[in-house]
Amino acid sequence: MATRDLVLSALFAAIIVALGLVPPIMLGFIPVPITAQSLGVMLAGVVLGAKRGTISVLLVLVLAAIGLPVLSGGRGGLAVFMAPTTGYLIGWVLAALTTGYLSQLLVSRSQAGFVQTVNFFVAALFGGVIVLYLCGISYLALVTGLGFSKAFMGSLAFIPGDVLKALIAALAGRAVMVGYPLLPQRA
Amino acid sequence: MRSLHIDGDSRLHRMPAGLKLASLAVISLALFTINHPAVLAIAALVGLASHALLRISAAEIWRRMRPFVLIVVVVALFTGVFSGVTEGLVALFRLAALALFASLVTATTTTGDFIDVITRAAMPLERLGLLKASDVGLSIGLVIRFIPEILSRYEVIRDAHYARGLKPRPLSIIVPLIITTLRSADEIAAAIDARGIRSQK
Amino acid sequence: MDIHFEKVEVRFEGRTVIHPLDLNLSGRRIGIIGLNGSGKTTLARMINGLVKPSSGRVTVNGFDTVAQEDEARGQSGFIFQNPQNQIILPLLREDIALGLKSRKLSKDVVAAAVDAVLDRFGIRHLGDRRAHELSGGELQLAALASVLVTAPKILVMDEPTNQLDIKNRNLVENTIRTLPEDVIVISHDLDLVAGLDRVLLVHDGRIAADGEPAAVIGEYRAMHGVHG
Repeated sequence: MATRDLVLSALFAAIIVALGLVPPIMLGFIPVPITAQSLGVMLAGVVLGAKRGTISVLLVLVLAAIGLPVLSGGRGGLAVFMAPTTGYLIGWVLAALTTGYLSQLLVSRSQAGFVQTVNFFVAALFGGVIVLYLCGISYLALVTGLGFSKAFMGSLAFIPGDVLKALIAALAGRAVMVGYPLLPQRA
Repeated sequence: MRSLHIDGDSRLHRMPAGLKLASLAVISLALFTINHPAVLAIAALVGLASHALLRISAAEIWRRMRPFVLIVVVVALFTGVFSGVTEGLVALFRLAALALFASLVTATTTTGDFIDVITRAAMPLERLGLLKASDVGLSIGLVIRFIPEILSRYEVIRDAHYARGLKPRPLSIIVPLIITTLRSADEIAAAIDARGIRSQK
Repeated sequence: MDIHFEKVEVRFEGRTVIHPLDLNLSGRRIGIIGLNGSGKTTLARMINGLVKPSSGRVTVNGFDTVAQEDEARGQSGFIFQNPQNQIILPLLREDIALGLKSRKLSKDVVAAAVDAVLDRFGIRHLGDRRAHELSGGELQLAALASVLVTAPKILVMDEPTNQLDIKNRNLVENTIRTLPEDVIVISHDLDLVAGLDRVLLVHDGRIAADGEPAAVIGEYRAMHGVHG
């Protein structure tokens, strides 16, 4: 791996951590404050693409595993990997991978701005919401023995916020691509 | 960024990090095969008592466990209501024991020891040509180094909004934060290369 | 130092940054001046192999920066403008030790070398501090220590005092003046450059003047209508 790719992945991991430390963002039209950390996971995919995006998310999880309180709310340590919600952390890796892969596949520099934004949204929605919740819910269902339907019901409340984050990630991904393009392009 | 490690000289502190991680894996698997609430309750108590033996104060244990309490209780209640009281108690004590044992390893292992274990674990991958084992420690160091820089940058961008009488919005903060941060990647990478830190020899 | 540029040309995205150039650098202390975007940085970065010539070759103490990259790079250390981006690990001591890591030295030897280089710049008390707590001047001294711990023969500096306040600027400049290593320094600070042995003036990717500091600085001033 080129040194620049290593540095980009590490800096983005630091951005994801920082997004978990800043106060949650209140949006006017939904009542719960949203934490920006899972937004960071989608952003890693749309800004850096599959490989570097996945590495940056893996780095955040490694930092958490070795005892640094890098996850939102100051969580960290091995205990977060032994919790009913661990599936969502594993899901982060696949979410960044999927979002990044789809961004590379769907978005190209020759497209109109609106088309780019829509494609980024599709990528973030598929990776950062569908794949993420599939992982999180499956894990919750299997580990706790709750079963899929109950695990799904229990997670439902968080989905609207994450759809909104996918939209923010898409708009930010497009804006970053205009200001400082890094997304690997199709050959 | 303060680690959740707690200084000490207990037997757990001196045990090799790799052994602690392997033991944690074995204990976790065992906890999943046990379905007796009383046995799991004893396991959770052992986990809790070990914290006390390491002279970790009750307040500190609470601070470390607080993020897990809500989700563990919710899952246990859910299970209890739908699958019966015994199953609910099994879920409660199992999840509590898992979190407590994991927390013990975290409290007694330094970041440096963890990095050494990961670097050694990455050696076989290096032989396969997948990555460079020494990059693991370098990347972890880079992330920790630049978290405070990014937080100050976040504050600068937020203050720039206030200075112009604008309300900070997620997009208008995140986009400049990402661009200014990633722009510095070129020079950081050049600094690493110039020092020959990742050279083959 | 013994650096040779042979028919070196650098093109970047269809633009010629350095026009075909033959240049020999020897002696103790050389300054490089010129406008922003003139090609100074590209020229300096080639010495460390950070920029590779599009054609021609660069040798540093006999090592080709392309064919013998690691050896050539080992001859020189590089100090960048922004000290913020040069310290890459959280603790200063760890960061300085990093350059020695590939040499497979024992922990004690590394610790002693780190202490020695910290002492050399009078910053041993900063060793266990976190990089983000240090001031710009402290960071630039730390960057010097992190580069010089590997004992390069030549030190290349790209506007090392540009982002420093007057106090830290004096501190770093005095340090540069007393360094026993051979030095190549890019600077907009003509006072600093005037004290060196030889100065190159880079203009539009060419060496416009080369020689005694006073003469070259005079030409630089005349070229841009600055009379001083």
